[in-house]
Amino acid sequence: MSRTWRRLFFLIAVAALVVGFYGVALGEEEAVEVVQKGSSIVWWMWPIILFVFTFLLGILAVVAGVGGGVLFVPIVSSFFPFNLDFVRGAGLLVALTGALSAGPGLLKRGLANLRLALPMALIASTCSIFGAMVGLALPTNVIQTALGATIIMIVIIMATAKRSDFPKVEKADTLSTVLRISGIYYEESAGKEINWQIHRTPLGLALFVLIGFMAGMFGLGAGWANVPVLNLLLGAPLKISVATSVFLLSITDTAAAWVYVNKGAVLPLIAAPSVAGMMLGTRIGVRILAKAKPKAVKWIVISFLFLAGFRALLKGLGIWG
Amino acid sequence: MSNKTKPSEEQLLYASVLQKISLGGLGLLIIGFIVYVSGLLPPIVPVSKIPEYWGLRVDEFIEKTGMPVGWNWIPYLTRGDILSFLGIILLAAGTVVCFAVVLPAFARKKDTPFVIIVIIQILILLLAASGFVTGGH
Repeated sequence: MSRTWRRLFFLIAVAALVVGFYGVALGEEEAVEVVQKGSSIVWWMWPIILFVFTFLLGILAVVAGVGGGVLFVPIVSSFFPFNLDFVRGAGLLVALTGALSAGPGLLKRGLANLRLALPMALIASTCSIFGAMVGLALPTNVIQTALGATIIMIVIIMATAKRSDFPKVEKADTLSTVLRISGIYYEESAGKEINWQIHRTPLGLALFVLIGFMAGMFGLGAGWANVPVLNLLLGAPLKISVATSVFLLSITDTAAAWVYVNKGAVLPLIAAPSVAGMMLGTRIGVRILAKAKPKAVKWIVISFLFLAGFRALLKGLGIWG
Repeated sequence: MSNKTKPSEEQLLYASVLQKISLGGLGLLIIGFIVYVSGLLPPIVPVSKIPEYWGLRVDEFIEKTGMPVGWNWIPYLTRGDILSFLGIILLAAGTVVCFAVVLPAFARKKDTPFVIIVIIQILILLLAASGFVTGGH
């Protein structure tokens, strides 16, 4: 599909969403007023607010280089009146659709690597199912507390983790050699082809147990954890790590999403505007990225994420309801 | 792109199928949503009533609204809220289809480790989709 058609598709999608809401607004004679969180807002305003909010979140996510999925759950659960179950269900879909739409291009360009992703995805997706089951079984306050603590940990990782463009891997380990996980890609900035291989594969696979479990439990995208493991631990080049991480999410989040869908924890009224808003926002974000100052934005977003995590923690502990 | 940097046959196949399914899923999600909120098809739960329940945990939500869970939504496809699920289902099902499509490519190359990985992955995703594994409280 050409770029023009894709743009047209997204414009129609947005227009359709707006028209849909407008139609509802006109069609409903008695608008139901919802008094939640101390505010009185007509029901159909919430999805519109959610769409605009996720649109802005999508822009910020790209400019800051932070995954949209990881921002969605803590921030939306802090500022919107939806139960955490539905926010996590929508969060998984936001992360999933982002990965599904970026994945094909990254695979075709040879940046995401199928052989690198599949063994990790098998472990992560299996564990994400267990994570989703546990997440839906635990009391809300426990999940909220654990989410808050996890977000604060993610903020620390984001703020301190270093990245290596071309990590040195002297010798591939036995498992990655057997699985033939290696590749060559064209590095535009250097103008040459880069050979890569990985090491410490068993340890990497073990870490994906935890990453998958957390992705399913909290409905978060797991790019914040995938990239450091693929890049710093396994030794894949940064571009390969980032692209493969995005593709990996499409598999990990699919498995967890099924658990939420089958349980009834995906509400189209929340999920559809979030997905549309986030996707449109990330596309606009890519354009703004060229002119923005990513470092400053990154720190603003990280601070915002820290506040949302801190609020979730206090909410879970019953200190700040 | 030189031959050395060209992605493998199965990678390109996976990408091509994934692209079609994700675009279809997104399109269906948007169309289903429009049908749902515009009231073109009657929903099981009126859209204006949803905010009364979205602050509840999912089990309470299901109990109070009577929304079908698992695959029990299939007989209700003419309902607006259920129709809006179709895009979500297609997006979630896309990965299984991609794996099923690339499996023969790995098998042709006698790439046994990846044939095994792909088969297990398909089984895991089908198990998740089956509805047999759900959380509860």
